[in-house]
Amino acid sequence: MVELETLDIRTTTLGISLLDCADPDLESTCEKIYTKIVHHGRNLCAVADSIEADYGVPIVNRRIAVTPIAWIAGPSGAEDLTPLAMALDAAAKEVGVDFIAGFSAYVHKGFTRADHALLESVPNALANTDHVCSSFSLASTKAGINMNAVRRFSEIVLETARLTADTGALGCAKLVCFSNVVEDNPFVAGAHVGIGEPETVLNVGVSGPGVVRGALERLGPGADLQSVAEVIKRTAFKITRVGELVGREAARRLQTSFGIVDISLAPTPARGDSISDILELMGVDRTGAPGTTAMLALLTDAVKKGGVMASSNVGGLSGAFIPVSEDEGMIAAVRDGALSLAKLEAMTTVCSVGLDMVAVPGDTSADVIAGIIADEMAIGMVNQKTTAVRIIPVPGKGPNETVEWGGLLGTAIVQDPGKFGCKVMHERGGRIPAPIQSFRN
Amino acid sequence: MSRRFLTADDVRRASGTTISVDVDTVVTPQALEVARSMGVAITTSAGAYTEPAPDRGPDVDNELLRLSDRPEPVGEDLGGNDGVIVTAVGVNRPGVLGELSAAVGAHDASIRDVSQKTIGDYFHLVLVVEIKASAEFTQLKADLEELGRQKHYVVRVMHERVFRYMHRV
Repeated sequence: MVELETLDIRTTTLGISLLDCADPDLESTCEKIYTKIVHHGRNLCAVADSIEADYGVPIVNRRIAVTPIAWIAGPSGAEDLTPLAMALDAAAKEVGVDFIAGFSAYVHKGFTRADHALLESVPNALANTDHVCSSFSLASTKAGINMNAVRRFSEIVLETARLTADTGALGCAKLVCFSNVVEDNPFVAGAHVGIGEPETVLNVGVSGPGVVRGALERLGPGADLQSVAEVIKRTAFKITRVGELVGREAARRLQTSFGIVDISLAPTPARGDSISDILELMGVDRTGAPGTTAMLALLTDAVKKGGVMASSNVGGLSGAFIPVSEDEGMIAAVRDGALSLAKLEAMTTVCSVGLDMVAVPGDTSADVIAGIIADEMAIGMVNQKTTAVRIIPVPGKGPNETVEWGGLLGTAIVQDPGKFGCKVMHERGGRIPAPIQSFRN
Repeated sequence: MSRRFLTADDVRRASGTTISVDVDTVVTPQALEVARSMGVAITTSAGAYTEPAPDRGPDVDNELLRLSDRPEPVGEDLGGNDGVIVTAVGVNRPGVLGELSAAVGAHDASIRDVSQKTIGDYFHLVLVVEIKASAEFTQLKADLEELGRQKHYVVRVMHERVFRYMHRV
């Protein structure tokens, strides 16, 4: 299961609250956050290594999540918060983690001075750091959608793409926005430590699309859909148990609180580690064909049910991720014309996150990006679910061209958002009011 | 309530040649650097400053009581011993089982159960091994995997706990 079907612990993420690091002096804030992260995170990699060795289960990534930086940047009154990102980056390098996430702000209803400064600092911050990830809460079911924030965020996405053009707009792969943001999410780019979280907390993300695929292969095409759901549920149960075992052991060895297991089927570009393969085994010809949304709904629900049965600490995003560029099967589906941007949006209504790692042409206008984001935020807002957008306008690339990021981020085929935009909506600004919670039809 | 951090700025603003901090205050590397260059000593009630153990917050004391040494309920373990599942796959030839049992024996571990199957020219072997303390696991795993590399078969070593925990409600 571990070797052939790539069952792994996708991430052990140490959450560190930085609320006590706020300081009127920006330089001192940087000093404090660097010191606190290194102080608490120093043993993370060694502990992950030791558990990997003792249990024989690979732990692919070690990461750190921190309090949204906007919350601690306020007292300094600084306009440019890039130095805080640099301090996070330096701490990540010192500790040896691959990503540090939490260059973030909650702006679903409006901006504080610090939130605004943080959003404006994002392009520079992401262009000048290697490991920092940034996320923004732009909407929620209770607050509605802050369209002023959507508008500025879409421009910031384009600016980040421009500043990181030499790496295929890699900066945008580390920038994500959310509706109904999850405060204990261990997966980057959206990881951070929400306001209700403890001083330090160890969260674990488990994956294993390959294991589910293996189980479905053994089940064969003759079984009915209850049997398919049952097999996925049982498999998710096993994966989650391994996650809980590792998470509790890691928390014990780090002497910290154990937070949650996030049981998310997350693909990687490796062959066989694909959500698309699962959907196709479930019975659609190609991912994106009619039936895909229904099969994804079954998959996400069965994963959640198996996970919840296996552990009382299930949290985070838990479900199925569909990051296009990170999934070999999805890349092929886009290449073959099976998976359009519109179908992908439909799939996000039932997956656990949203439009993830979608490449669009570099000359896409801000209003089109804002429209795509607003649509996705609306799906999350109305359906009381988490949705996210991680969109990458790749400079110099047009529809159907390929962009290679390598590593975990994979390969993307640039998708065509169509020739129509939403300029007037974009310029209106304001806020989409929170939706009514009854009359749900 | 003690101060959480001492920064370079704090050191620059302090007067005198000694700064006294609480034992759980964390002094930033930059503050240590400035103090060194200014000839200022940073002390605590216990003497010269040393970095304190990380304070993981008020939840941790309770949490650690609940997080038992093993994830299994008490009483389900093997009386202090650990079970290890060793699997080996490769081209069959005489002596494979002997090599593996000798390597296991060298670690003062005992074989509780063996299953072996040959399919065509290939063997598949599963050993359930009992080792005395979990500290030996890493070395046993490394040695068995190395043995496989030298003798041209694949050996995989996993804690029995992983399997047990995975299949229990």
